[in-house]
Amino acid sequence: MESTPPEEVYIDEFDPKEHQGCYIFTLDGEEDRPTKRRKTKGKQRATEKAAVEEEKCLFPVLLDGKETESTLKLRYRTYCKLWEAQEKRTKAILDSFNSKTLGDVSAFVKDAAPEKFEGKIPTALVLAGPNIASHELLFEQLAQRIRNQDRTGPVVVLTSKDATSLKTTLRKLIRDATQQDEGVDDEEDIARKVGGVDEDPQRSSLLTRSQSTKLLNYDLQILQTWCRSHAGQKVTIAIQDSEAFDSNVLSDLITLFGSYLDRIPFVLLVGIATSVEIFHDKLPKSTIRLMRGNKFDVERAEECLAQIFNDSITSDKAVLRLGASVCDFLLERYRDHTQSIQTFVGALKYAYMSHFYANPLSIILGFIDNPDGLGEVLSTEHVEAIRNVPSFRRYVEGKLAAKEVGEVRKLLADDNYVRHTVAEKILESRNYGIELGQALAFLEIGRSCTLAQNKTPRYELYAKALSGELQTGPSIREFLMSLKRMSSTALLNLLENVMQEVPIPAITEPLKPLQEKIKKLVEEAAASGGKKTLISEFDITNNTLRGTAVSKKVRLGEQKSSLTKQDTEYSALVQQVYAIAESYLTVNFNSSQHGLQNVLLHEIFFYDLRSPHSAVFAPKPRSTIERGLSRPQDYLDCSCCTSGDGEEVGIRGTQPPASIIYQLYLESGALINIYDLWSAFYSVIAGDEEEFDAQTAQALFYRSLAEMRFLGFVKHTKKKTDHIAKLAWKGI
Amino acid sequence: MTDVMLPEELLTALNERFPCRAPQIRRLAALVGTDETPSPPALVLHGLEATGKTTILRAFLDRTEASYTWVACHECVTVRQLVERISAGVTESVGGGDDAGRAGDVCALGVRLSVALSGAERKHFLVLDRVDRTREGSSVLFAALGRLGEMIPSLTVIFILSVPRPRFLSSAEPPHIHFAPYTKEESIKVLSKYVRRIPFQDIEEYTEEDAKEELYVWQKFCGTVWDSLAKGTARGVVQFRAIVDDMWEPFVKPIAEGKYGTRNYSSLYLLHKDMFRRETDVVDMVVPAGAGEKAATKSESTGNPPCVHDLPYYSKFLLCAAYLASYNPARQDATFFMKSNDFGRKKRRGGTTGPTKRTAKNRKIHRRLLGPQAFPLERLQAIFAAILPHRLSSSADIQTQIATLTSLRLLTKASATDVLEASTKWRVNAGWDYIRHIARSVKFDIEDFVAE
Repeated sequence: MESTPPEEVYIDEFDPKEHQGCYIFTLDGEEDRPTKRRKTKGKQRATEKAAVEEEKCLFPVLLDGKETESTLKLRYRTYCKLWEAQEKRTKAILDSFNSKTLGDVSAFVKDAAPEKFEGKIPTALVLAGPNIASHELLFEQLAQRIRNQDRTGPVVVLTSKDATSLKTTLRKLIRDATQQDEGVDDEEDIARKVGGVDEDPQRSSLLTRSQSTKLLNYDLQILQTWCRSHAGQKVTIAIQDSEAFDSNVLSDLITLFGSYLDRIPFVLLVGIATSVEIFHDKLPKSTIRLMRGNKFDVERAEECLAQIFNDSITSDKAVLRLGASVCDFLLERYRDHTQSIQTFVGALKYAYMSHFYANPLSIILGFIDNPDGLGEVLSTEHVEAIRNVPSFRRYVEGKLAAKEVGEVRKLLADDNYVRHTVAEKILESRNYGIELGQALAFLEIGRSCTLAQNKTPRYELYAKALSGELQTGPSIREFLMSLKRMSSTALLNLLENVMQEVPIPAITEPLKPLQEKIKKLVEEAAASGGKKTLISEFDITNNTLRGTAVSKKVRLGEQKSSLTKQDTEYSALVQQVYAIAESYLTVNFNSSQHGLQNVLLHEIFFYDLRSPHSAVFAPKPRSTIERGLSRPQDYLDCSCCTSGDGEEVGIRGTQPPASIIYQLYLESGALINIYDLWSAFYSVIAGDEEEFDAQTAQALFYRSLAEMRFLGFVKHTKKKTDHIAKLAWKGI
Repeated sequence: MTDVMLPEELLTALNERFPCRAPQIRRLAALVGTDETPSPPALVLHGLEATGKTTILRAFLDRTEASYTWVACHECVTVRQLVERISAGVTESVGGGDDAGRAGDVCALGVRLSVALSGAERKHFLVLDRVDRTREGSSVLFAALGRLGEMIPSLTVIFILSVPRPRFLSSAEPPHIHFAPYTKEESIKVLSKYVRRIPFQDIEEYTEEDAKEELYVWQKFCGTVWDSLAKGTARGVVQFRAIVDDMWEPFVKPIAEGKYGTRNYSSLYLLHKDMFRRETDVVDMVVPAGAGEKAATKSESTGNPPCVHDLPYYSKFLLCAAYLASYNPARQDATFFMKSNDFGRKKRRGGTTGPTKRTAKNRKIHRRLLGPQAFPLERLQAIFAAILPHRLSSSADIQTQIATLTSLRLLTKASATDVLEASTKWRVNAGWDYIRHIARSVKFDIEDFVAE
């Protein structure tokens, strides 16, 4: 509903050819013409073409058309380079993510045999979660693994699209199973070729029996014959989306597998998106009785999201990061709408794309590792653009406040000085992101070690940290408070984790000696008293029953006195750890001194435009159409439909006829009398004119009613004569 | 009896192997007989699941060394496949026969079989196992198959099916042999052939005495299982055996450990009383209940919360809305979902007056028992907007989620029209328990909105 009416953007792009009845199609350039395929030159040409492709830049010329060709290309190349690196890392995470499930399932398949499951079909129920988009990847990985690594036999992945009927399913199954491993045993192939007559001897020999009567191509006996010649191989059938399968086809299939089980060693993998109970409800009991096995859980998608997020946004390898509002949008959409990693990655790519597409300064990101050539690349226009960036202005104002007037003058007047400053400062800006990521990692680890109950993943802390909420929020305070109360075992565990996960000198250097000391203390205590865990004096959780203020005091005193010498020393050390953690976190999350706002050129390092994402990934077609029809003046912006002071205008004869019909339609009930509608329409369109042409009005009426039907607002009904049924209500 | 024409020891051996099936075996002996005796053109063996039709017939034919062709009809997907299998099978087992052509339909099959069997000296039996489970099978097909034996003198067609219909073969009724389901005593007798051992811990040697004791406990145990569980749920001997197998080991564990003797069965029963009340062994599941629990506790002990795959937040509300749209009558929507009406809280009826005359007059079936009703998508979206705790401007994401729910078959299309058609009806495909669970996870009190 917030869709702004488009302004005159489209007027410039008006192409007269679009409205021409016919025109001559001319090719753009020579190289696009399809060349005749010649085998000798084919490869060479392909590489040439690829080179041309690579150089072909799809980005527009920015800076009011003054951007030079070389920077344009540089922008495109930078985009390609950065996204390629990011995509590679993301893919590696996605590939490694399912490894545990893959291992479990492949182990299951490896030692599955009907004898172990009471003569039933060995079945692995793979609970893959409701994110359907990831199932294909998972099953592809499974099939690859079983086919290439375990080599237990052919794998057939069946999807509901293949399974329109039992016959087609079997046909696909047999074809896939028998053709798959032709590469595996070559000798046999050759042996068959000697006797064979057809061009594909293996297939034809499978299709024929000993009497050479041909079998039908959906007969499982083909597979049976194949299994006889490939002893020891299992036929793994993976049903990717069991929910979407027609339950009759599925139960027929399973029954068939069951009856052939003594001749073909089937193993079933069933992908379940909802729950095992729903799967059980779907099939008849007699079919369920045929299966026996185990269930395997795929790891939660949140884990995967956390890994990808940490890698792409908070790690030190990331170059372009997301800003708070985009981040919020993406995470919210993930949680509330999609729960799909793939869409998240897609949105991330879109952020990269739109950043480099529309921001001429994004070329700076290409010089992040080596700012040497940056000065030469930045043209006068670029420098001017830099001066217009809000963070630059803030930087200059800061200088002005610090009375460095000469500096300010140079920044505003001297282009070369700006180039120099930018080249110097970009590393600092980048480090801001890296440090933030490290601080978040520290906080996350700390929180997970102290507060086991409410674990907040890094991706939720990130947006808060950027917008400065984290400093005032309870997350840090809770962590610091529980840090004080930690026993030595827990604290050592925490320190160990921190040393491993966040190897940054700012935090490890002061903590290292403390860790050593605590270790020593614990050893001492163990040697003297046999006590293994030291408790902090701040820890009052052990005695929860504190009735009155007096008893509280008494107990406190008691506790203090019950502390051993080592405990007291330990408490002092805890205090030191606390002080280090506190100062570290305050420095990093203090928004007034260390906030994003103060980072020079943060607009380039943090992509934070929410509207392109929401317009592209979550468009609102329905409310847009409704608005277009009910308030056409928003879009038309014509004088006749708009009242002078911008107030509600209601229905007017000057509005488009479809819009008039729609507004009348909104006022009516579920069934609309056509004649009433027509007379209302006529009175609106005729207005005050006495002699409006009724035939024209009727033609307009018919046309707009047809448009309404086309848009799905009305339909014919048999409930009442001369009436149409209303199908859509506004504002849903 | 004069109908016994086979050597007596063969029948004794068969009776030994298949207890409680003496009359059926005798009838088979009479009708199948030896090569010298005539056989009817068709023969029907019928009886419920797990009554020994297939096994006994196969054993019988093997023992008498009859020439037969076995076709498993439930493995055939189409009639054509069935017919080709019959043709190929008969040709193969009779030996010889020319390879020319294939039998595409029943008529061609008749011709091919008569050619193949024309030179045969012996009787040939064509066994059609589970013929009533042939896919695409029609009564014409069965009638034609039944006539094959009449056309070809040396052929006898044996049908095996579960429940015969009158005039199944559309001809003069062929002889039927009924395999009655086993009674309790018979079941126990059958199971006594597969006595499971008691895994004694300290056993030196296995004596006659032990075997006798085992048989005693086994039979007693089978009787108890039958009375408590299997009588109502698993009358087939195979299922019965599966239950007994599952429960045997835990049941005799005290005996194996030497805590109980074999003869005080009743105290052993009292010890395991709970076992016969539980349903876990009776309910069919792919993953045995015990194994699943073990896995769950394992994951808990390692610190990970048990894996629960969640639907997205709004998908859950959509599903609740779909449930409400399916189970609430449309005319009550205003009472439930109008914002003005105290935000849809159900009006509590005054409990003092008791049932009024009107409700007594037209007592209705509970709506939940009637199954889900179809609703248009517009209604789903309206209810969805009404039950959400906050306002949400509808975006394409909502439509995507509806599509996802459809491909998960939690929502199904109820009319044959196109998906995009506004008048297409939909239906929820999830039970009350599942919906209630989902509603609780988003803190939505669905009970307040369900019409009674």
